[in-house]
Amino acid sequence: MQYLDTGWFGVAFVALLVFFLLFNIIRADRGGKQLYIRRIPGLNAIDDAIGRATEMGRPVFMVPGIGDLNAISVQAINVFAHVSKLASQFGTPIRICIANAAVYTVAQEVIRDVYQKQGMIDRYDVDSVRFVSDRQFAFAAGVSGLLIREKAAATFLLGEFFAESLIFAETANSLGAIQVAGSTQTSQTPFFVAACDYVLLGDEFYAASAYLTRQPILVGSLVGQDWCKILVAGFVLVGALANSAERTQVATVTRAGYLDTISPEQIASEAEALGVTESIYRARVASAQVEVPVKEERASNPKLNKKARNETSFFRLFSPMISKESLTIVRPQKPTVEPEGEGE
Amino acid sequence: MRRKQNFWDEIQFIDRRWLYLVLGVFLVLGLNLKCAVSNVCAEEGKDFYATVMKVPEGGTVLIQSDWTTSTRGESQGHLESLLRILMTKRVKFLIYTFADPQAPQVWRNVIRVINEERESQNLPVYRPWVDYIDVGYFANAEGSSIAVRNDIRRFFSRQVKDDKGINRSIFESPVMTKINKVGDADLFVIVTASATLDVAVQRLSDRVNMAAMVTGVIGPTALTFYQSGQLKGVAIGLKGVYDTEYMMANGLNTPGPDGKIVVEYDRSEAPVPKITEGKTLARGASYIVALHFALGLVIFAVVVGNIAMFASRAANKGGKRR
Amino acid sequence: MMPWLAQADPRLNMWALPPYSPQLWIAVIATVLVGILLVFGLTFLPTNLRRPIVTVMTFLAGSFYVGLWLWPQPVAKVETDLPRDMVESVGFWFQDAQQALANVANILTAFLLLLGMYSLLRIHLGRISKKHPDRAFSVVLIISMFLIVIFGYADWRMRTFLDPQNLLELKTNWTIWNHGRDILFDGLLMQMDAAMFSLIAFFILSAAFRAFRIRSVEATVMMVSALILIISLMPLVIYQSEMLIKAWFPNPSPGSFNPENYKIGTIAGWVKSNLQTPSLRAVEFGVGLGALAMGLRLWLGLEKGGVSV
Repeated sequence: MQYLDTGWFGVAFVALLVFFLLFNIIRADRGGKQLYIRRIPGLNAIDDAIGRATEMGRPVFMVPGIGDLNAISVQAINVFAHVSKLASQFGTPIRICIANAAVYTVAQEVIRDVYQKQGMIDRYDVDSVRFVSDRQFAFAAGVSGLLIREKAAATFLLGEFFAESLIFAETANSLGAIQVAGSTQTSQTPFFVAACDYVLLGDEFYAASAYLTRQPILVGSLVGQDWCKILVAGFVLVGALANSAERTQVATVTRAGYLDTISPEQIASEAEALGVTESIYRARVASAQVEVPVKEERASNPKLNKKARNETSFFRLFSPMISKESLTIVRPQKPTVEPEGEGE
Repeated sequence: MRRKQNFWDEIQFIDRRWLYLVLGVFLVLGLNLKCAVSNVCAEEGKDFYATVMKVPEGGTVLIQSDWTTSTRGESQGHLESLLRILMTKRVKFLIYTFADPQAPQVWRNVIRVINEERESQNLPVYRPWVDYIDVGYFANAEGSSIAVRNDIRRFFSRQVKDDKGINRSIFESPVMTKINKVGDADLFVIVTASATLDVAVQRLSDRVNMAAMVTGVIGPTALTFYQSGQLKGVAIGLKGVYDTEYMMANGLNTPGPDGKIVVEYDRSEAPVPKITEGKTLARGASYIVALHFALGLVIFAVVVGNIAMFASRAANKGGKRR
Repeated sequence: MMPWLAQADPRLNMWALPPYSPQLWIAVIATVLVGILLVFGLTFLPTNLRRPIVTVMTFLAGSFYVGLWLWPQPVAKVETDLPRDMVESVGFWFQDAQQALANVANILTAFLLLLGMYSLLRIHLGRISKKHPDRAFSVVLIISMFLIVIFGYADWRMRTFLDPQNLLELKTNWTIWNHGRDILFDGLLMQMDAAMFSLIAFFILSAAFRAFRIRSVEATVMMVSALILIISLMPLVIYQSEMLIKAWFPNPSPGSFNPENYKIGTIAGWVKSNLQTPSLRAVEFGVGLGALAMGLRLWLGLEKGGVSV
């Protein structure tokens, strides 16, 4: 008896991706062989940007976007740690402007550690990592003001950016700053392309720390990502072909709300057979995606009876339906608790 | 040595403040010019209108309104036209946000304005608790969306004041009585200016019919979800506002006064009716001239910039290189 | 009495005890005590233990969500159900705990916001005391921060606890606190937000003017596709161009050279659905896989970069 919504294929697929990543991380960690990473101009420009800021005696600005503390902002801080390391060697002032309190605490720790490890803790300015505002446009106004007042020589805009991306990029551009930018938000990348000198596209952003540090674990994970991409691309190709072939076929079953396909009397009798009230039964099966035969009017219409997008095997591989039998689960019920009055 | 700048060089590297001034003047002019503009509606916009119009009278729509005043140029028009359609069809709605604590105040203003407008036209106004439920802001879009997917009744276990001022569970209101799972709603519409679109689509689009109204900037992202069938329809940017209003005024596959169909819709042969009460052409129509002026200026600036670049190259050919 | 304790769902689980019950009081007090002890304990730890602790905590927190995702989800569960066996018990537990865990994350963020405010105050009070040339900005910032906190709290408290009849819905019943909040929030903050956002229109113009030049093949392709898409957003232009095409080709022949295919709207649609969307999707796949790899490294403590130092 199936009673669990397993969706096993999606899980198995992601498990395979995870295996690819871990396998390559272990391989690179043990192998010690230097793996090749193609040139990423935006990351090569980091040295130039810091050099220029040092010559001009003006600060380097870094913004990790306005997202929460997540993989994206952590990656941005990793890159900023590298930039800060170089800046600490030259005594170049840095400014990291942050819009999220959690990211701020993490960034502060990391950057102080960087200066400490470099033995340059006397050059560390506690105000170089600063929380500006968690309101998007107050942050945009605050950072733009800082950029202009402190005459930024270089800016690194890496992370989750939204509408403020162009405000930063154009403000810094008007100051003649060298700009390296990259956002995981594809909607903001065009703004960066138009206004910045170097842009990290898509997952180049995630490749940055591997590229800069060449740590075996990071490089291995990058190779694992490439394996994953090949797998995904293969699935896209096979899926496109299979779907194209399949959608010319006639549909015999479809997914529908089970309740839509049966009469009210039938609902009542099925609920009774299970020994539950009709409302509990309705709640249980409401919107459950169950395989049912296609309806009469659709089956007789040659225009409509071809398989729809969500009726192909590939679609169903990733979004499985539960069987009709699973609706007949009877679970024991919680004892009802009367809501208590106030105070003890 | 830097060579002397000629006229074309100056155009090519013009002080950006001149551009800003011209744009400012154009926008002010455009916003003050109001005229009816003929339109060709986008396909995804037509699907959006048809999807919303498919909701049965008295049905329930979930609205996730994730925008604030900053994007009101686009999003306010979106929400206004959506609410006007729903109110005409007497569709009930639950409205909330996962994006921003400022968002509730903004939609409250929109509902108030439309209600005042309807009152002045002797149309029934929308009352909280009976016609709609406003549950406000919930933090953490990702976690909240997963929670809605798992158990909408537990997630929205907030109490609100009913029509007699008594706090009651929202599921006792006429709006939510038949909602046991997120899929029981007739439609889920997300009006957004942010990445909450991705979260909502990823977490909920396989459980409920979903449509979106998004700003121009995240339009491309919304289109990927529209193409994959996860969104049944999308209204994008200011053009999307005007498209929706234009369809509200003219319907789809519906003959106009001259007997000709104004907006053709290939997806279905049946006409989708126009909106017969209240305002139809509103914010979109009053901004569309300004949009033309602004986009025209961008095109003009790009063309002039290129001409200046080539002219300055030709003028300096053979001359001293710096 | 104000409802200080959360109103639990009457159908209880281990994360929601009945309001005002002794069990809930015991749980609240025990949690506060354990929390204080933990914070104290952590301050006495040697620094070399920091990394393992962070790694373990990250692993535990991440494991919950991995478990939630991997564990088979119970089919057709309604809130009054009790689990039937072990597998379902765990599935139910995961679903019940998820909301509680999301709340923990939100509360943590709220505490961290205090740290952010501390940073702001330190920088700006420092500037004022050192007579920094830009100290006027700092004064404005600090005054507006306190004003909005005070008025915002007063307004919220009145609306939530002191106004059962919803009298404050009408502007005529407002007190100075409600007017103050309205001026600061709706009158100033929201309008300034909108003003900042509208700057983008100006920046788009100057960026487009600079970037869309025929410098290289790539730049030209970008410029041409941008111009097509810009024109497709101008209803008047596409409408007129379609009318022109209809007038010139009253009886279009079907096939590749059908003039219908060369309407601006059609070309823009083609660019969007055949060039833009697929490439966006490809980039999104890359970004998603990057996030998966990054998340995996963080979860397993393999990230030896800055963050887990």
